[in-house]
Amino acid sequence: MTEVLKVRDLKKSYKRGFIPRSTLVLKGVNFSVPSGSITGFLGGNGAGKTTTMRCMLGLDFPDSGEVQFFGGPLNEASKRRIGFLPERPYFYEHLTGREFLQFYARLTSSWNKKILDSRIDDLLKRVDLLFAKDRPLRNYSKGMLQKIGVAQALIHDPELVILDEPMSGLDPDGRMYLSEIIIETAKRGPAVFFSSHLLHDMERLCERLVVLKDGLCIFEGTTEAILDRGGVEFEVTYLAGGQKNLRRITEHAQVQPILKKLINDGAEIVEVRRMRSSLEEIFVKMALKGGKK
Amino acid sequence: MRPIWVLALNTYKEVIRDRILYGLLLFAVILIGMSLALGQLSFAEQARISANFGLSAIHLTAVALAIFVGSNLVFKEIDKKTIMTILVRPISRLQFIIGKGLGLSLIILTMISGLALVLVGIFALLNMTVDVRLAWVLLGLLCESLILLGVTLLFSMFARPILVVCLSVGIFLIGHWQDSLAFFARKNPEGPTALVHWICRHFIPNLERVNWKELVLYDQPVNALVKAQAVGYSLAWYAFCVALATWIFRRKDVG
Repeated sequence: MTEVLKVRDLKKSYKRGFIPRSTLVLKGVNFSVPSGSITGFLGGNGAGKTTTMRCMLGLDFPDSGEVQFFGGPLNEASKRRIGFLPERPYFYEHLTGREFLQFYARLTSSWNKKILDSRIDDLLKRVDLLFAKDRPLRNYSKGMLQKIGVAQALIHDPELVILDEPMSGLDPDGRMYLSEIIIETAKRGPAVFFSSHLLHDMERLCERLVVLKDGLCIFEGTTEAILDRGGVEFEVTYLAGGQKNLRRITEHAQVQPILKKLINDGAEIVEVRRMRSSLEEIFVKMALKGGKK
Repeated sequence: MRPIWVLALNTYKEVIRDRILYGLLLFAVILIGMSLALGQLSFAEQARISANFGLSAIHLTAVALAIFVGSNLVFKEIDKKTIMTILVRPISRLQFIIGKGLGLSLIILTMISGLALVLVGIFALLNMTVDVRLAWVLLGLLCESLILLGVTLLFSMFARPILVVCLSVGIFLIGHWQDSLAFFARKNPEGPTALVHWICRHFIPNLERVNWKELVLYDQPVNALVKAQAVGYSLAWYAFCVALATWIFRRKDVG
């Protein structure tokens, strides 16, 4: 699998305060995003997710480090292959939905009007905003703005879609809808790299995860791998002496001997459940302890 | 060129759909209309006073547009984060600044042209002849607005809008006082005024070079060569300011 994005030893500091003091926000971030994958970018508030994205995309200038898109540096050609939605964006309120997408499409591509119009209609249909295409953005709800924001990131058929907190502030319906858009986008071919605080959505959507803590990458790998870090537990429900009992087994090797013993003692096994820690539990543990790759 | 044009058109749409512009236009039309009433106060110079007042109204409106809208042109994009969705496209920061500047310049041109039509109507009412000299005066106003827009764009690279407005208004005032400053400097070549004049002459544009109202007000002849040089002077100032603004902008974190 080829890598569409590779970040190596990215460092960034900001000067803040009346007497400027340098604060190191990114302390050497390393990760990569394979083509065609949905990769989640996880981290607490102030971990450096948004700063990493800004540095990657040339919006902020890193102190040092290397960012490669499609095997090369960020340039005009690679920018044509990237779609981006920033966190909590405000869009041009004076434009209608259609004009808004026309504007971004014309900045990136040179499609003729006919192709552009049909592309915009397709995309508006995909994000369920066709009904509001001629409405000014100032009359859009937050969920609608987030959807049109995703549409502007997709308008030029990018091969890598980067979304910064796309679910932020959306209601459950909006989150569900956006999740579907992300899955559908990835099915069409582009890699999707997005950050979110909503771990349940991350667990459900992402094949791969990159976890950032205090400006350092503390995990990079598949979602399965991070879930395995939490270990596996088994929960046995059995009937003994006319009563329903529950027993937790933390070691996999102990499952068979314990079950045998329960049966020998005359217990009736009702259910054996394999339990795994949720991403949220694992993330909290990692955030408290810090972790190693 | 295409991204510059797309950005310019979007800026044009943005300002043209803003209510503030119409407030400013209404103010200008009222001022121009008032020039008729004001002219009545004069016994023999009604036409000249009306023309002066009308041209000054266009002048002030164009300058106000350049300074007040210009001070927010880039700041608003950064503040509202819209710049992030633009600069990740295949657009350089130079193209971004040129595009935004071109959009506002087109608005100023539209506004000057529209108000000029109102003024021509007033001239017709006063039986004043309208000739090519009015076009020269309007070109001068456009040039001055361009210089001030360039200066405003430059200041907006390192200051917040309110400070940008103060600095630009300062440049506007000093820019028009340069000839007076030169007069006082000649009177006292050894004094501090001479030093102030030297600094202003080298670092602040002389806006009187493009103030050609006397062509219409005093029926003066047009010296095309001098005017062409003044247009070149304005464009050079604009280009210098945009280049310096871009140099700063290229080093600026916009996230």
